[in-house]
Amino acid sequence: MASKAMRQSVGLRALSNGFLAFWCLLASFPILWITVMSFKAPRDAFAASAWDVITGPETRAAGNGLSVLDIIVGITVLYFTIRWAFGVLPGLVRQVFPSSLIVLGWLVGAAAYAIAFIIVFFGILPPVLGVLNGLLGPLGEPIIGLTTIHYYSVWVENAFFRNFLNSLLVTAGVVTISLTVGTLAGYGLARSGSNLAFWLLIIALVFRALPHSVLVAGYLPWFINSAEILRPLLGDISPTLYGQPWAIIAVLVAINQPFTIWMLRSFFQNIPSELDEAARVDGCSHFQAFRRVIMPVMWPGVITTGLFSFLLGYNDFLVTSLLLDAQNQTMVPAIAGYFNRETTTTDQVEAVAAAVSIIAPLFLLVMVFQRQIVSGLTAGAVKG
Amino acid sequence: MKSKTFFWFVAPSVLMMLVFIAAPLVSVLIQSFQVTQPVMQTVETETCTPGFLTQTCTTEIKTIPIIDEVTGKPQTTTEWVGFLSYQRVLQMDKVWAAISAGQWGDILQIDFWKALRFTLTFTLLTLPLVLGVGLAIALAVNSAVQSIRGPVIFISLLPFIITPVIGSLAIYWLFVGDGILTVALENILERDIAMFAQAWTIEILMYVFRVWNNAPFAFVIFYAGLQTVNMDTLESAVIDGASRLQRLRHVIIPHLMPLIIFIAIIHLMDVYRVFEEIVGFRSQAHVISLQWLTYDFLVPDDAGNRAISRASASAMLTMIGIVILLIIPLRRTWRDHKGGAH
Amino acid sequence: MYLKKLALAGAVSLLGSTAAFACSYENEVPLKSLSAGFEAWKAVTDAMAECGNFEAELDQEFRQKQPAAFEANPSLYQIGGVSNGTITPLLNAGTIRPLDDLVAKYGQNLNPNQLIRVNGQIMAIAMMVNTQHMMYREDILSDLGIEQPTSWGDVLAAAEKIQEAGVVDYPLGATMKSGWNLAQEFVNMHPGFGGAFFNADNTAAVNSDAGMKTLETMKALLDYTDPEVLVSDSTYVQQQFQQGKIAMANLWASRAAAMNDAAESQVVGKVKMSAAPVAMDGGAPATTLWWDGMVIASNITDAEADAAFRLMMEGLDEDMVTDNNDAAIWLVAGYQPGPLAEGAIATATATPAPPPYPSTTQMGLMHTALGNELPAFLTGERDAAATLAAIEEAYTTAAQEAGVLE
Repeated sequence: MASKAMRQSVGLRALSNGFLAFWCLLASFPILWITVMSFKAPRDAFAASAWDVITGPETRAAGNGLSVLDIIVGITVLYFTIRWAFGVLPGLVRQVFPSSLIVLGWLVGAAAYAIAFIIVFFGILPPVLGVLNGLLGPLGEPIIGLTTIHYYSVWVENAFFRNFLNSLLVTAGVVTISLTVGTLAGYGLARSGSNLAFWLLIIALVFRALPHSVLVAGYLPWFINSAEILRPLLGDISPTLYGQPWAIIAVLVAINQPFTIWMLRSFFQNIPSELDEAARVDGCSHFQAFRRVIMPVMWPGVITTGLFSFLLGYNDFLVTSLLLDAQNQTMVPAIAGYFNRETTTTDQVEAVAAAVSIIAPLFLLVMVFQRQIVSGLTAGAVKG
Repeated sequence: MKSKTFFWFVAPSVLMMLVFIAAPLVSVLIQSFQVTQPVMQTVETETCTPGFLTQTCTTEIKTIPIIDEVTGKPQTTTEWVGFLSYQRVLQMDKVWAAISAGQWGDILQIDFWKALRFTLTFTLLTLPLVLGVGLAIALAVNSAVQSIRGPVIFISLLPFIITPVIGSLAIYWLFVGDGILTVALENILERDIAMFAQAWTIEILMYVFRVWNNAPFAFVIFYAGLQTVNMDTLESAVIDGASRLQRLRHVIIPHLMPLIIFIAIIHLMDVYRVFEEIVGFRSQAHVISLQWLTYDFLVPDDAGNRAISRASASAMLTMIGIVILLIIPLRRTWRDHKGGAH
Repeated sequence: MYLKKLALAGAVSLLGSTAAFACSYENEVPLKSLSAGFEAWKAVTDAMAECGNFEAELDQEFRQKQPAAFEANPSLYQIGGVSNGTITPLLNAGTIRPLDDLVAKYGQNLNPNQLIRVNGQIMAIAMMVNTQHMMYREDILSDLGIEQPTSWGDVLAAAEKIQEAGVVDYPLGATMKSGWNLAQEFVNMHPGFGGAFFNADNTAAVNSDAGMKTLETMKALLDYTDPEVLVSDSTYVQQQFQQGKIAMANLWASRAAAMNDAAESQVVGKVKMSAAPVAMDGGAPATTLWWDGMVIASNITDAEADAAFRLMMEGLDEDMVTDNNDAAIWLVAGYQPGPLAEGAIATATATPAPPPYPSTTQMGLMHTALGNELPAFLTGERDAAATLAAIEEAYTTAAQEAGVLE
């Protein structure tokens, strides 16, 4: 859009940028706000005045707070963290990992980056600043209340890391299986012009429209009694599916299949079929053609679809809350426990802290993959 | 592609969908025509429960199921009841009575029709909003300077990626009681506001939440689509003296049309299932949706009763609704399929 | 939070999970429980976990899973937490076992009051009672010269005076979140007016004089409550109290302790509790009595049941109560009722006493019907007579489907 004729008038540009600024505020405000709440004492977090929530007088009175120096240093560190995440990190990843392993590279890079940030921000900064604040006198006095006590109770006392690991397991399973199964089906559907293929797609679409609560409530008795039901078939090894993460993975993959195959079919349709036809002329079977010719060029589409699968697995509430027991519970149903039971205000602030903890990895993921989302969608230019 | 090869490519996916979606669906269909009940008996029962310090014992006639001596489980009977459960959900007799009395509003007091009314208005009203807001953001980002695009895309995606349960709770907290946004509104309008006290304010919040939540998806797809707009066509349109609005109407929107349909289909399906907002905003007293109705039938009460048959009937009705809604956008897919078979 | 402190805490919590601290024996049979998740359950299951090999699942939506999980063979959980509402499906399906022999073996410390008997057999062990009681801001009432209200008439009169004085945002708080909570308010008030829920043949009996009076009273309350009352559950009312926004509420006894929690409450020491108000002269307090307790599954081995019961007794011992005295109105020996429990005890010991919440299949259906049909009345969409008729109709449909009615 660099051409001169395309350039917008000043008024239009102001309007357009103003709209963007407004939208960004709207998009980020609720998330920013719950993040602020999660760092305050219960009375501050639910105070009626916005100013009290931000400054946290009660929290400060309890001796937890940030001084001017803390704030300046903190903002500087945050600024560079975000800049490097967009600038330095991608370069590093590309240097270290070969392009065939780039997805893995991104994940490892992002995780290492997050850990480094946590160590610097929460491990090294506080003691250093503690000493400096002591030396500074009045400038070192806390002016904004802030406490990490809720995160401490959530992660350490309530062992939230267990839910975190369960979430990782379920999400990883959903993404891998969903993509493996879905890529094959998507390719098959894209290359078949038969009516059967069309009706499969339409039925898949109707499946996608089903209310999940209907499906899930149908599973519960089968999952709980599966050991009894399967015994005649499998003998004593027949498992109780209820509470098993891999059973949940299967359910989520199935629920997600319609979307996955639609999406991937569109991507494959955009890969010219001359490519695999050429390979077929050279004597490859369809599977070989798929492996040698299609697989190397399909990654942008697969990564984008994979992100959607990731979101589904990671964010699911209905399936996981009903079919997993406490030991295998993922993060989202685990925080619902904070809201549903007879709660106190403290419980609620802890729940907010848990909620922010759930969002943080998503943050990281989008930061890392947003280029891929856009380029993947552009490459596939999803056609309905 | 030969049908045998095709079969092996799609088999794993189809198998999973058969087991986990089609099979439950068939059982739901069957259950909607059946009623399964325990066989009840009445027995005199003495129950002793704690008071404070001393117990109170009451003797009463209780209706309880008969336990089968062989299986150790309650005896049940299953009957085919035809469309009885559908009638119980739809309550057509009341609908006709309301129509013949000219009291159209009375129809909306029946749960199913109340839910249908909200689900349809919600689905159809959010659709243009999401498309419009999504397109507006995409155009604005596309014309913004390169250096801010990355961060703006990042921020724009946030509402879409965050867990819906958490998102709706975040919004709920901002508005409930003396939530800070309610206080801010009160200061601007200089009057007392209770956002969750009447149906229309709750509905507005739901629309806002859904657009906030879904517009980023439309945005990112449109933005990707804008990257592939043919620059030559655009420039020749400029030379022909087409105004910005005309270019949008005659070049950009036609180019994006397949994407608009794609988003519309996905949106119709997702929004038709509206459920999180009802629970998150606790709006049951004022507005309910079709999926919430089904869910409500299914959730057991303290005594363990579930209205499975009515839930199945309401689920089937919900499904018929979405099929009807999808026919229009899908006609195009059918034409594409017929025209452009590979 | 410094890393050192984090590491230290991590080490301590690791130690805690392996060593059995306060338990008198070591449990060797792997056991699991499924119960609700409020404070009292946390206290009891934590005490049980000290014996090792025990996993507790605390889930407020437990009623969705419990009947099915206990019906599996072997049962997925050995121990279940129930109340007088949620024990019904387990009793009906025969999935919990009589405990008489186990009580004889391990239950020396149990109070006779704790033994829930059905037809003479002990089916559950109660640990606490819960009921509603009147909570009010003593400072406000005495400033305005208002006597402690004992009937709903008094409450409305007092609310009027507080409204005029304008000292709080809303004079009254009420747990009228549509659904279960709102239905519970009706279930409390209706027997207070002498109403019955059912006729002898299981048909509904709420479309009565008492039903009308109940609806009138509930609607009268709305003049003095937050306009958002149809979304307010007990946590919300508790917060309104803590933030000094309301002056009176008929609230669950288990919520009393939160009023004096200095970290959250701005009204520490200002809230007093008294018996739940009566609905009519000479009537019982308009509330129902609830108990929470534990049951043991039938589809498990006798050895497991033995171990499970022994563990239960460890969870319900005096040490646990001493450590968590204010978490509930315990029935366990060693409980010292504090000032916070005064209202609940006055409610439970009133003459005539309020009825226990009935544990029957019909009551479950009625509760759902009430929860779904009452909101239309309170929002003004439907008048009282039509609402009562709608409740009866909803109940009848559900009861026919459940096989309770022909």
